[in-house]
Amino acid sequence: MKKALSLWCLGIGVWAALFLWPGPARATLGGSADSIESDRIMLSAAQGVVTVQGTYTIHTMTSGASTFREYVAPSGVVFALAWDGALTPNLTALLGPYAGEYQQALSATPRQPGMRNRSVIRTARVVVEQWGHMRSMHGRAYVPALVPQGVDLDEIR
Amino acid sequence: MRSGRPLLVLLCLCLCCCGGGGGGGGGSSAPPTPACGIVGSGAIAQPSGTNWLLVTVNGSECNPATTDQAGYPDKPCVSVTICDPSNPGTCQLVSDILLDTGSFGLRIFYSALNVSGLVLTPVASGGGSLAECVTYADNTSDWGYVALANVHLGGELALSVPIQVIDPPSLGAIPGSCTSPHTGPGPGGAIPAFYNGVLGVGPLVYDCGSACTANPSALNPVNYYTCVGGSCTLSTAALVSQVQNPVTFLPDNNGLIVELPGVPAAGLPSVNGYVVFGIGTQANNVPSGVTAYGLNQFGEFATSFNGPPFVAAIVDTGTNGFLFSDPTLPTSGGWFNPSSSLCLSATIEGASGVPASVVAFQIASLASLSASGWVFSNIGASGQAGFFDWGLPFFLGRNVYIGINGRGGSTLGAGPFVAF
Repeated sequence: MKKALSLWCLGIGVWAALFLWPGPARATLGGSADSIESDRIMLSAAQGVVTVQGTYTIHTMTSGASTFREYVAPSGVVFALAWDGALTPNLTALLGPYAGEYQQALSATPRQPGMRNRSVIRTARVVVEQWGHMRSMHGRAYVPALVPQGVDLDEIR
Repeated sequence: MRSGRPLLVLLCLCLCCCGGGGGGGGGSSAPPTPACGIVGSGAIAQPSGTNWLLVTVNGSECNPATTDQAGYPDKPCVSVTICDPSNPGTCQLVSDILLDTGSFGLRIFYSALNVSGLVLTPVASGGGSLAECVTYADNTSDWGYVALANVHLGGELALSVPIQVIDPPSLGAIPGSCTSPHTGPGPGGAIPAFYNGVLGVGPLVYDCGSACTANPSALNPVNYYTCVGGSCTLSTAALVSQVQNPVTFLPDNNGLIVELPGVPAAGLPSVNGYVVFGIGTQANNVPSGVTAYGLNQFGEFATSFNGPPFVAAIVDTGTNGFLFSDPTLPTSGGWFNPSSSLCLSATIEGASGVPASVVAFQIASLASLSASGWVFSNIGASGQAGFFDWGLPFFLGRNVYIGINGRGGSTLGAGPFVAF
């Protein structure tokens, strides 16, 4: 029962935020330690998904073929997100306070016919990259100003 | 790894690409020797039998307005004939369909199906219609309903194939989670697709698979929707109802061979080639002189560029260049833009780690080439580090075999595999 409950928490707290809820997600990019505390509690209950890498922690959630990772700075701020799965997540929910400028930058970025398997969108504050193909979609988003000193961006995958 | 690369490139420049330099040159420099992945041009023979489909890269099967005039090089087009299964004499030939070994299933714009009396009825789902949102990594998507169609591919017929009818009227409000859906073939409109449809003939059968057969939930998001009375909600889709690779419905259904001619480094305005259906099923598709590379559950093999690590890779006619990460290469307008043509190479491995082989290829500046034509064997774009997409240029001058998941019947073994 406890396991089922924790899975349910995991689903509501993360996947619902990403894929179903139109409103702001609970553990969005740039979220504070306070705002993600409930998620962190739920995550730590789920199958050993928190790993420490250098000065920051990675919270990994898995559902079937899909995984989602939050990169949390020592201050508790989520400075990056990464995902692998069959579908592209709902970026509006995912990006939280950065969604508006992301949408603006997306609209202003010219498309390249024939190059549907990658994109890089940069705003003044956030970078969103996607890559992959049908049934295998990947991406990451990070806030350069929030990335802790000494962290190589190649670690966010 | 990286420290050794400039020397390698320099060496290759001298060995393989002499005369290819000069950047904005054009016709004055001597053509590169036919090496480093460039195969000389020349028409290829039309296959025997009837189990094949004409492909033109740019050329006659493409709509010029969504192709050359839209600045779209290396676009492989086919024409398919769509018929109503309940009224199989009512059909329509649709051209400007993108041949795509990087996806699974046939998708056609509703607006392209305009023959009087041709009605493709949506597949029923939960008292309404089964709909789908297919998303791409460039943030666009294809939204529409699933319908059964009889599909003529060259001389072969696929009966009652679930296809997607894109952007139909009166299906209902597009769900907010379906971002930037293509608004039409284009070239105008808000989000043009630059095609009338996509013929997804990659190595898998289903466009979603088991992920979409379980109840959609927070833990299991899916592609599919049920639309009732103009309202669409997330839904399961049984495998049999999912949009599927139409090759699996043909008489020759275990795979296909993409046969395209070589293109010299300067490019060509268009080339003609063929898709042959089946592998080892008829006299015209017997495997010869190729090595098969097994694929994982996502239809991927592995590729290492500039040394480890190996990353996910596909062979993909639907991407119009080599798409990979090399932060040292300059780019312009999304394309690699080296000052002179580069000879590069990467190691390809089957998903299990074997077999392995080195593939050489060239990257030139599209800007310096594009006056010469629309088909190039040596263009590429900057991608992300976790993915190597062997796009259309890889296919020029090669016969590439796509073995479909779970189907055997040839000396290359059971799919999924790619062989070349």
